[in-house]
Amino acid sequence: MSFWFWHGLRKGIQSTRYPARAENTPGVSPGRPVNTDFSTVEEAQLAAEICPTDAIVAHGKSTYVNPGKCVHCQLCLHSLQSPMNWETGYEWTRLPADGKEALPFPASFAKSMHIMVVDAGDCGACLHEVKQLNNPLYNMHRLGFFLTATPRTADLLLVVGPVSENMRGPLLKTWEAMPTTRKVMAVGGCAIAGGVFGKSFMCACGVSAVLPVDFEVPGNPPPPLAILHGLLVVAGRKSLNSPRPISEGRP
Amino acid sequence: MTITGSFLVAIFVACAAGVFASALLGHKQVPTVLSIAGALSSILMVLTSASVLLMGQPFEAALWTLDGFGRFTIHLDSVSSIFLLVSGVVYFSVSLFAGSFLKHQTDEAHPHLYYAILYFALMAAVVLILVAGDIVLFLISWECMSSLCFLLINYDPKGQLDKSAGYIMLAMSEAGFLAVAVAFLLLARSATDFSFTALRSACATLSPDTLWLPFLLGFFGFGVKAGLVPVNFWLPRSYTAAPPIFIPVFAGITLNLGFYGILRLNADLMHAGYGTGLVALITGSITALVGILYATTDGDMKTMLAHSSIENAGIIVAALGAFLVFRAFSQPVAAALALSAVLYHMVNHSIYKTLLFEGAGHVEAATGTREMDQLGGLARFLPELSAIFLIGCLAISAVPPFNGFVSEWMTLQSLLRSAVLASTSVRIVFALCGAALALTAALAVTCFVKTYAMNFLGIRRGSWELHVKAQATSKFPLAFLAVICLLLGILPTYVLPILNQSVESLAGASVTTALVQPFFTATPENAQLPPAFLADFHNLGAQTGRGLVPGRGLVVLLRGGETNPVVFAMSPSYSIIALVILFAAAWFVFRRLTRQRTLVKRPVWAGGIPRLLPLLTYTPTGFSNPVRVVFQAIFRPNIVEDTRQTVAVHFRTAIHRQREEIHVVDRLILQPVGAAARGIADFLAGMHHGKLNAYVVYVLVFLLLVLFVYRAT
Amino acid sequence: MATHSSPIAGGNIAGLADLTGMIVERFGDQVAQLRAGANFILTLSVGQPSALPTLAQFLFWEHGCLFGGITAEEHSNHWQIHYTFLLPGSGWIDVEFSMALETKTLPSIVTEVHAADWHEREIEDLFGIHFENHPRLGDFVLHDQIWHEGIDPMRKTFSAERPQLERKVDLEWQPLLVVGDPGSFAMPVGPVYEGGIGESLHFLLETVGEDVIRAAPRLFYNYRAVEKIAEGRSIPDALLLAERFAATSAFAHSLAFCLAAERIAAVEAPPRAAALRVLLAELERLRHHAGAIAAICESTALAVAAAQASIIEEQLLRASCVFTDHRYLFGLNTPGGLNRDFELEQCKTLLATVDKAESDLRILERRLRLSSSFLDRLEDVGVVIGESARDLNLVGPIGRASAQHCDLRRACSYSGYGRLAFDVPCETEGDGYARLRILFAEATQSARLIHQVADTLEGGPVRVAYEVNHAGAALGWTEAPRGAALHWLRVDERGIVERYRAITPSFNNWLGFHVAAENFAFQDFPIILATFGLSATECDR
Ligand code: SF4
Repeated sequence: MSFWFWHGLRKGIQSTRYPARAENTPGVSPGRPVNTDFSTVEEAQLAAEICPTDAIVAHGKSTYVNPGKCVHCQLCLHSLQSPMNWETGYEWTRLPADGKEALPFPASFAKSMHIMVVDAGDCGACLHEVKQLNNPLYNMHRLGFFLTATPRTADLLLVVGPVSENMRGPLLKTWEAMPTTRKVMAVGGCAIAGGVFGKSFMCACGVSAVLPVDFEVPGNPPPPLAILHGLLVVAGRKSLNSPRPISEGRP
Repeated sequence: MTITGSFLVAIFVACAAGVFASALLGHKQVPTVLSIAGALSSILMVLTSASVLLMGQPFEAALWTLDGFGRFTIHLDSVSSIFLLVSGVVYFSVSLFAGSFLKHQTDEAHPHLYYAILYFALMAAVVLILVAGDIVLFLISWECMSSLCFLLINYDPKGQLDKSAGYIMLAMSEAGFLAVAVAFLLLARSATDFSFTALRSACATLSPDTLWLPFLLGFFGFGVKAGLVPVNFWLPRSYTAAPPIFIPVFAGITLNLGFYGILRLNADLMHAGYGTGLVALITGSITALVGILYATTDGDMKTMLAHSSIENAGIIVAALGAFLVFRAFSQPVAAALALSAVLYHMVNHSIYKTLLFEGAGHVEAATGTREMDQLGGLARFLPELSAIFLIGCLAISAVPPFNGFVSEWMTLQSLLRSAVLASTSVRIVFALCGAALALTAALAVTCFVKTYAMNFLGIRRGSWELHVKAQATSKFPLAFLAVICLLLGILPTYVLPILNQSVESLAGASVTTALVQPFFTATPENAQLPPAFLADFHNLGAQTGRGLVPGRGLVVLLRGGETNPVVFAMSPSYSIIALVILFAAAWFVFRRLTRQRTLVKRPVWAGGIPRLLPLLTYTPTGFSNPVRVVFQAIFRPNIVEDTRQTVAVHFRTAIHRQREEIHVVDRLILQPVGAAARGIADFLAGMHHGKLNAYVVYVLVFLLLVLFVYRAT
Repeated sequence: MATHSSPIAGGNIAGLADLTGMIVERFGDQVAQLRAGANFILTLSVGQPSALPTLAQFLFWEHGCLFGGITAEEHSNHWQIHYTFLLPGSGWIDVEFSMALETKTLPSIVTEVHAADWHEREIEDLFGIHFENHPRLGDFVLHDQIWHEGIDPMRKTFSAERPQLERKVDLEWQPLLVVGDPGSFAMPVGPVYEGGIGESLHFLLETVGEDVIRAAPRLFYNYRAVEKIAEGRSIPDALLLAERFAATSAFAHSLAFCLAAERIAAVEAPPRAAALRVLLAELERLRHHAGAIAAICESTALAVAAAQASIIEEQLLRASCVFTDHRYLFGLNTPGGLNRDFELEQCKTLLATVDKAESDLRILERRLRLSSSFLDRLEDVGVVIGESARDLNLVGPIGRASAQHCDLRRACSYSGYGRLAFDVPCETEGDGYARLRILFAEATQSARLIHQVADTLEGGPVRVAYEVNHAGAALGWTEAPRGAALHWLRVDERGIVERYRAITPSFNNWLGFHVAAENFAFQDFPIILATFGLSATECDR
């Protein structure tokens, strides 16, 4: 069995340099639509109409995107004559729209933050992207982020999924079992605004309907680096890019 | 009449007074009489033995002479005094417990007067056994004791109970009694009279080889009472069947009588060869291992404790075997160490096992069940009992600062002393037995972690309700024993000198000078101790506590020589101080750190399910199942009933398997012996067919056989 | 036999013709109607409910059909229940039974076809139709702890937007435990996964300590009622749901949905789109299998191998992202083809990554074969014998590891798989190692398929106009990475979804999980779980 050790060493260091340096390998992020100024009002209107989740709001010739609602269907990119602008970053973490002022953890958490992940009706993509943070390419342990199996020792509750009715109880139980210094991060469009599932008798339309959310990572799913950025923000090691979301896409 | 004699008489008077008072005062007052008269006589027992131990002189008295049986004598020496002392302490607790317990048990199932009479009678019989100075008195009182035990277990005016436990016990006791009687008579052939003194001098003249038979007869005869493999199968059954107030007596007193018998007959009277010691050592080790295996896996609280008594008996007898071997090899110091371990462990076992059995009785009365699978969460219902029971569990699992640790450590250390023996094969036997005992000690921890955690912690698994009245039973008798557990655990340096008299008389070396070094009183120039030895210990820092710790504090188990300068020493007295300081410091630091914080209690985390149900928590059976699996070869479980109800292969609606285990001793000894006995009986019955010719042939064949044997010799 | 509405027609449905004859012979009048439609579907209308179990028995056991699933539909005045079977190599058999809305009982076919167990339980829970003789109904999708009896959310009268009721958790609720050995108890695992990151599902490991006697999953924590909320949506909106209820096989599910929608409108995707769909589906399979292999390595604590497999997986995710702008292939399928086209350069880059991934997986497999301690933990662990796999109709790699060689790409080709050359690997041991071998072998086949498609890619449009102007229903099927996925779609004349039913491979295979999880050592539990590689969210929908 010792050859595994050797094979492991031979691969060398594979981890990304992020956050020390930006990661630009193609494919780490699918990007996302951003506010676009069109040349005509009609084009803007078309863009707003094509969006299945009303994430795009037209205002004159300009369109505004609510990233929390975008389900990344790519219609506004591929099915429009004049497509929306497309941004390729991944530092998307934002504060929730409800106006609550959430502060990151104090400095003592910066090098060691324990994360409890709860799947609350997620489609598997967001959870899978969180799982990718464990693989050597992202390796979140090097940054002092650890997964924990019990909420008792968890600092951050990372929730994916729109909160299905059957998971509402377990999710609340987990939250209640955590120390009161806890913070909650909603990861993915579904966890922020219900995504394609919306509000129904079985879906709570986002985590904020159940728990107070402190941070949001939009994306459908947000790529691992976006989640990593979220963790860094929570730990107080990165700043938010846009401190407030543009509410409902309108300035 | 000396003071000892007066105390002794007073014991019997108090017992008799107890019987009469219970009879006269009636049903209601019996519990009170039981407590008062019982406590009084037990205090008198303690005083009797204390007077002997303090004066350092055995007490002797001649009673009367019976034609053909010689003179009845009373002889109370240091060995029997130790046993009497322990019996006194145990009886004190049990009397108070029994009184308080019976006060709340007014139903038919507890015939107060009957219990009281038997209780005092048994007490008197026990004292008689311990003070008997000759064979006849000893055997008579032994027989009394056995019959009383039988009567206790099989008290069943309505004829509802299963009486097999009592009968098996009676049969085994009688067999043991016969063996012991034969052993005594074999020795008495060459003695002038029936007194122990005469026997001792007679034995000295016999060669070790001729002592083999009396040794084995005596060892296994007394082993019946002591619970040794393979003659102990009666023990778990009858302990389980015994009334709650009497099991502590069985475990704390009558069990000891077995050791007393072995010590008296096989160690004191006889000086047999080292082979006999090895027999004891091996038997003891096997007993200990078998005992603890069944204790760990048993689900009934009383039966579990009974198996644990067997385990402790095994440890004691193993140490006794080591003593016999060392003595036979003329290693008095090592022998003294082993013997003090024997006595120390015997004392300890009586104390904590009494405590645990009283606790178990308490639990049974309060909850109505002994099934550990049904219990759970008792700490919330019975907080004081839980704390006391925890001390008992810690003590029996040999966790410092309680007494079990001291004696078990001494036992293992004395086995390690086998290095002084010349014979390699004997050393190997010692090593194997030491390993068995170490395994036993580890399993004992598992067993009592299970017992405490599964019964007192967690959540209630069964559907029982707490009986409020039974809950009111006094916890003082248990607390009293718990304190003794602690004292015996932290002050071995004061206990060992008390044991020393008997050790010296049997081993021929003083355990005090060998083990308990008077460091604080000794100066390097002190001539009592070799200077090199003292210098060693000064370097070790043994005098660090001088001036702080009063008196002796260190037990030195081994001091190596020039070539092998190893030192084994322990000091429970110091370690308790360290323990207290550590706990206090930890508590202080914790308080400092959490001063500013608020404590929030949250429900148990169980993966997000709404509530942790009792059926989702570990059961004692589940906890001990790994042991059951690992030692499958010994347990040989048999699945007697396997119901897998299925509608179709895929729909399994129920899986229900009933396991049956036949105890390894039953399987290997009781069943074959029983079958053989039945076979012989059948064979003999077959011979009685009434045909004259055949009878003539039998006579002829027998005649020829006799002639042949005669010719051959 | 009453009427033949249309003669059986079609290329490779000769098997169905034979079957028709036999059914006419065997069942005569009990089968009221026998219609062979296009798209390899033979519809049998059953008049008498009592004929259902015998017919199911005949199809499943005597004729060797595979079980697809049961779909209940509520029409304005009657129930329509579809029992779907597959005759491998020929086509689908849709046994249809109608009954008045007031009738709420049906004979259960579960005693004949065990694989129907969960389908019936689901229908009982969601529609309130009772199945006679089913041994274990209730507490399935709607957990009894929080849902009352009598809520039938899939009924048309139940509004999906209904505000959430204040629900009280029943704290006294006791799970049904099967093991009654003395001293037995159950170790609860989940629903909030205790090992780090995992899906929400709950197990009760029934044990008497040491060995686990039985472990049955309790699912549907992720139930988002996709089938319910799809009703009333337009086809493109419903497609979003079909694509996103199980992201790890998003493409396969959206493809199945699109195929169904296309069948309703009698539209066929252009050849270039069909070929690209195969390419994307195989890319998804390759990525999924790399992830599943990583999970198996991780469950045995073989850290280096797990790391290397997950690097392969991440490289494939990145390649998918470069190729399609989405790491999980969202937003590509649309009824009538694909939303976008790809350029030759893009395909070449993708091919390079696929080749690299494939060769890396080969190397990994070779090394794993040499790790005896790894193999020890997989061999003879979680065994599902062939009979059980057949009995419970296990699909996908799990079924193929237990000698069930059904693969929809072969058994009932779609999207042009019939023209491509590939092997369907099959093993017979049915243990964890067999399942691992299947994963490796299928990954190789996927890479081979991707190559074939890329090499023979024709030009042309990737999309045809799609419009529905008549009511209709159709079945779409794909071989998703975890096995057969069946999507049943019924739309009205405006193209609004009336009933959508997704039968997923995880739903099928979770049913069989308990067979592999009987009498095993506790520490093998994560391994059995990982070698099954099932998704709770795909099952729950
Ligand atoms: S990608 Fe986002 S913004 Fe664009 S159409 Fe789709 S959901 Fe709307």
